[in-house]
Amino acid sequence: MFVEGKKALNPAQKRLKAAVHYTVGRLCEEVALDKEMQFSKQTIAAISELTFRQCENFAKDLEMFARHAKRSTINTEDVKLLARRSNSLLKYITEKSDEIAQFNLERKARKKKKSEDGNKSSRETAEAEAVDSED
Amino acid sequence: MEGSCAGFRKELVSRLLHLYFRDGKTKVSGDALQLMGELLRIFVMEAAVRGARQAQAEDVALVDVDQLEKVLPQLLLDF
Repeated sequence: MFVEGKKALNPAQKRLKAAVHYTVGRLCEEVALDKEMQFSKQTIAAISELTFRQCENFAKDLEMFARHAKRSTINTEDVKLLARRSNSLLKYITEKSDEIAQFNLERKARKKKKSEDGNKSSRETAEAEAVDSED
Repeated sequence: MEGSCAGFRKELVSRLLHLYFRDGKTKVSGDALQLMGELLRIFVMEAAVRGARQAQAEDVALVDVDQLEKVLPQLLLDF
Protein backbone atom coordinates (compact mmCIF):
# COMPACT_ATOMS: atom_id res chain seq x y z
CA MET A 1 0.00 0.00 0.00
CA PHE A 2 2.37 2.73 1.21
CA VAL A 3 5.54 0.66 1.16
CA GLU A 4 7.99 1.75 -1.51
CA GLY A 5 10.33 -0.79 -3.04
CA LYS A 6 14.13 -0.48 -2.99
CA LYS A 7 15.28 1.79 -5.79
CA ALA A 8 18.46 1.16 -7.76
CA LEU A 9 21.15 3.83 -7.29
CA ASN A 10 22.77 5.80 -10.09
CA PRO A 11 26.58 6.32 -10.16
CA ALA A 12 26.37 9.75 -8.47
CA GLN A 13 24.31 8.30 -5.63
CA LYS A 14 26.73 5.39 -5.28
CA ARG A 15 29.67 7.79 -4.96
CA LEU A 16 27.88 9.82 -2.31
CA LYS A 17 26.93 6.66 -0.45
CA ALA A 18 30.58 5.62 -0.44
CA ALA A 19 31.60 9.01 0.92
CA VAL A 20 29.01 8.70 3.68
CA HIS A 21 30.25 5.21 4.46
CA TYR A 22 33.79 6.52 4.87
CA THR A 23 32.76 9.25 7.28
CA VAL A 24 30.53 6.86 9.24
CA GLY A 25 33.47 4.46 9.51
CA ARG A 26 35.70 7.22 10.92
CA LEU A 27 33.05 8.27 13.45
CA CYS A 28 32.46 4.67 14.59
CA GLU A 29 36.22 4.29 15.03
CA GLU A 30 36.19 7.20 17.47
CA VAL A 31 33.31 5.71 19.45
CA ALA A 32 35.00 2.28 19.38
CA LEU A 33 38.12 3.79 20.95
CA ASP A 34 36.15 5.74 23.51
CA LYS A 35 33.83 2.90 24.56
CA GLU A 36 36.45 0.16 24.10
CA MET A 37 34.03 -1.70 21.85
CA GLN A 38 34.27 -3.17 18.39
CA PHE A 39 31.80 -2.49 15.61
CA SER A 40 31.10 -5.23 13.11
CA LYS A 41 31.38 -4.34 9.42
CA GLN A 42 27.69 -5.05 9.03
CA THR A 43 26.85 -2.56 11.79
CA ILE A 44 28.92 0.17 10.17
CA ALA A 45 27.29 -0.61 6.82
CA ALA A 46 23.85 -0.50 8.42
CA ILE A 47 24.48 2.87 10.10
CA SER A 48 25.85 4.17 6.82
CA GLU A 49 22.78 3.01 4.89
CA LEU A 50 20.52 4.50 7.54
CA THR A 51 22.30 7.86 7.43
CA PHE A 52 22.13 7.97 3.64
CA ARG A 53 18.40 7.29 3.69
CA GLN A 54 17.80 9.76 6.48
CA CYS A 55 19.33 12.45 4.24
CA GLU A 56 16.43 12.02 1.84
CA ASN A 57 13.94 12.76 4.62
CA PHE A 58 16.02 15.69 5.87
CA ALA A 59 16.40 17.19 2.40
CA LYS A 60 12.71 17.00 1.59
CA ASP A 61 11.70 18.40 4.97
CA LEU A 62 14.21 21.27 4.70
CA GLU A 63 12.96 22.15 1.24
CA MET A 64 9.38 22.20 2.49
CA PHE A 65 10.21 24.27 5.57
CA ALA A 66 11.92 26.93 3.45
CA ARG A 67 9.11 26.91 0.94
CA HIS A 68 6.58 27.24 3.76
CA ALA A 69 8.42 30.38 4.83
CA LYS A 70 8.32 31.54 1.19
CA ARG A 71 12.10 31.26 0.79
CA SER A 72 14.15 29.36 -1.76
CA THR A 73 17.29 29.30 0.40
CA ILE A 74 17.33 26.90 3.33
CA ASN A 75 18.74 28.55 6.47
CA THR A 76 19.65 27.51 10.02
CA GLU A 77 16.10 28.05 11.29
CA ASP A 78 14.95 25.29 8.95
CA VAL A 79 17.68 22.98 10.27
CA LYS A 80 16.61 23.69 13.84
CA LEU A 81 13.06 22.65 12.93
CA LEU A 82 14.47 19.30 11.85
CA ALA A 83 15.85 18.77 15.34
CA ARG A 84 12.57 19.46 17.12
CA ARG A 85 11.70 15.89 18.18
CA SER A 86 14.19 15.59 21.02
CA ASN A 87 14.63 18.40 23.56
CA SER A 88 18.29 17.70 24.19
CA LEU A 89 18.99 17.48 20.46
CA LEU A 90 17.22 20.77 19.82
CA LYS A 91 19.18 22.43 22.62
CA TYR A 92 22.48 21.13 21.26
CA ILE A 93 21.72 22.18 17.69
CA THR A 94 20.58 25.62 18.80
CA GLU A 95 23.83 26.11 20.73
CA LYS A 96 25.86 24.89 17.73
CA SER A 97 23.96 27.27 15.48
CA ASP A 98 24.88 30.22 17.74
CA GLU A 99 28.51 29.04 17.83
CA ILE A 100 28.67 28.86 14.03
CA ALA A 101 27.06 32.29 13.64
CA GLN A 102 29.44 33.81 16.18
CA PHE A 103 32.50 32.19 14.59
CA ASN A 104 31.57 33.37 11.10
CA LEU A 105 30.82 36.86 12.41
CA GLU A 106 34.26 37.08 14.02
CA ARG A 107 35.90 35.72 10.89
CA LYS A 108 34.21 38.39 8.76
CA ALA A 109 35.26 41.10 11.22
CA ARG A 110 38.87 39.90 11.10
CA LYS A 111 38.83 39.85 7.29
CA LYS A 112 37.36 43.34 7.17
CA LYS A 113 39.90 44.70 9.63
CA LYS A 114 42.72 43.07 7.66
CA SER A 115 41.67 44.73 4.40
CA GLU A 116 41.16 48.08 6.16
CA ASP A 117 44.66 47.89 7.68
CA GLY A 118 46.00 46.95 4.26
CA ASN A 119 44.39 50.02 2.67
CA LYS A 120 45.57 52.25 5.53
CA SER A 121 49.22 51.17 5.30
CA SER A 122 49.30 51.50 1.50
CA ARG A 123 47.80 55.00 1.79
CA GLU A 124 50.47 55.98 4.38
CA THR A 125 53.18 54.63 2.10
CA ALA A 126 51.79 56.66 -0.82
CA GLU A 127 51.64 59.83 1.31
CA ALA A 128 55.20 59.33 2.53
CA GLU A 129 56.40 58.89 -1.04
CA ALA A 130 54.54 62.04 -2.07
CA VAL A 131 56.20 64.05 0.75
CA ASP A 132 59.65 62.76 -0.25
CA SER A 133 59.15 63.72 -3.87
CA GLU A 134 58.18 67.28 -2.84
CA ASP A 135 61.53 67.72 -1.11
CA MET B 1 30.88 15.52 23.96
CA GLU B 2 33.51 17.35 21.92
CA GLY B 3 36.91 15.99 21.05
CA SER B 4 35.99 14.12 17.89
CA CYS B 5 37.64 15.21 14.68
CA ALA B 6 35.76 13.39 11.92
CA GLY B 7 32.66 14.94 10.44
CA PHE B 8 30.62 15.59 7.31
CA ARG B 9 32.24 18.12 4.98
CA LYS B 10 30.12 20.99 3.71
CA GLU B 11 30.49 19.87 0.11
CA LEU B 12 29.34 16.32 0.88
CA VAL B 13 26.34 17.62 2.82
CA SER B 14 25.46 19.95 -0.04
CA ARG B 15 25.59 17.17 -2.62
CA LEU B 16 23.58 14.81 -0.41
CA LEU B 17 20.80 17.33 0.09
CA HIS B 18 20.66 18.51 -3.52
CA LEU B 19 20.19 14.91 -4.60
CA TYR B 20 16.69 14.98 -3.13
CA PHE B 21 15.50 18.54 -3.69
CA ARG B 22 12.47 18.69 -5.93
CA ASP B 23 12.82 22.33 -6.93
CA GLY B 24 15.79 23.40 -9.01
CA LYS B 25 15.82 26.79 -7.31
CA THR B 26 16.35 25.43 -3.79
CA LYS B 27 19.65 26.53 -2.21
CA VAL B 28 21.24 26.03 1.20
CA SER B 29 23.06 28.74 3.17
CA GLY B 30 26.64 28.08 4.28
CA ASP B 31 25.67 28.19 7.94
CA ALA B 32 22.85 25.73 7.34
CA LEU B 33 25.27 23.35 5.59
CA GLN B 34 27.62 23.51 8.56
CA LEU B 35 24.76 22.92 10.96
CA MET B 36 23.44 19.99 8.90
CA GLY B 37 26.91 18.47 8.92
CA GLU B 38 26.77 18.68 12.70
CA LEU B 39 23.29 17.12 12.79
CA LEU B 40 24.41 14.22 10.63
CA ARG B 41 27.48 13.73 12.79
CA ILE B 42 25.24 13.56 15.88
CA PHE B 43 22.95 11.09 14.14
CA VAL B 44 25.82 8.72 13.44
CA MET B 45 27.37 9.20 16.89
CA GLU B 46 24.04 8.48 18.58
CA ALA B 47 23.56 5.31 16.56
CA ALA B 48 27.09 4.18 17.41
CA VAL B 49 27.04 5.15 21.10
CA ARG B 50 23.59 3.68 21.73
CA GLY B 51 24.68 0.50 19.94
CA ALA B 52 27.79 0.34 22.11
CA ARG B 53 25.75 0.85 25.29
CA GLN B 54 23.39 -1.94 24.23
CA ALA B 55 26.38 -4.23 23.69
CA GLN B 56 27.70 -3.29 27.14
CA ALA B 57 24.30 -4.04 28.69
CA GLU B 58 24.28 -7.42 26.96
CA ASP B 59 27.87 -7.99 28.05
CA VAL B 60 29.13 -8.65 24.54
CA ALA B 61 32.39 -7.36 23.08
CA LEU B 62 31.06 -6.56 19.63
CA VAL B 63 28.37 -4.17 18.45
CA ASP B 64 26.61 -6.29 15.86
CA VAL B 65 23.42 -5.74 13.88
CA ASP B 66 21.44 -7.42 16.68
CA GLN B 67 22.43 -4.67 19.11
CA LEU B 68 21.86 -1.95 16.52
CA GLU B 69 18.36 -3.21 15.73
CA LYS B 70 17.35 -2.77 19.34
CA VAL B 71 18.36 0.87 19.51
CA LEU B 72 17.06 1.83 16.07
CA PRO B 73 13.39 2.53 16.92
CA GLN B 74 14.15 5.10 19.61
CA LEU B 75 16.90 6.64 17.49
CA LEU B 76 14.52 7.24 14.61
CA LEU B 77 11.87 8.61 16.94
CA ASP B 78 14.39 11.09 18.34
CA PHE B 79 15.22 12.36 14.88
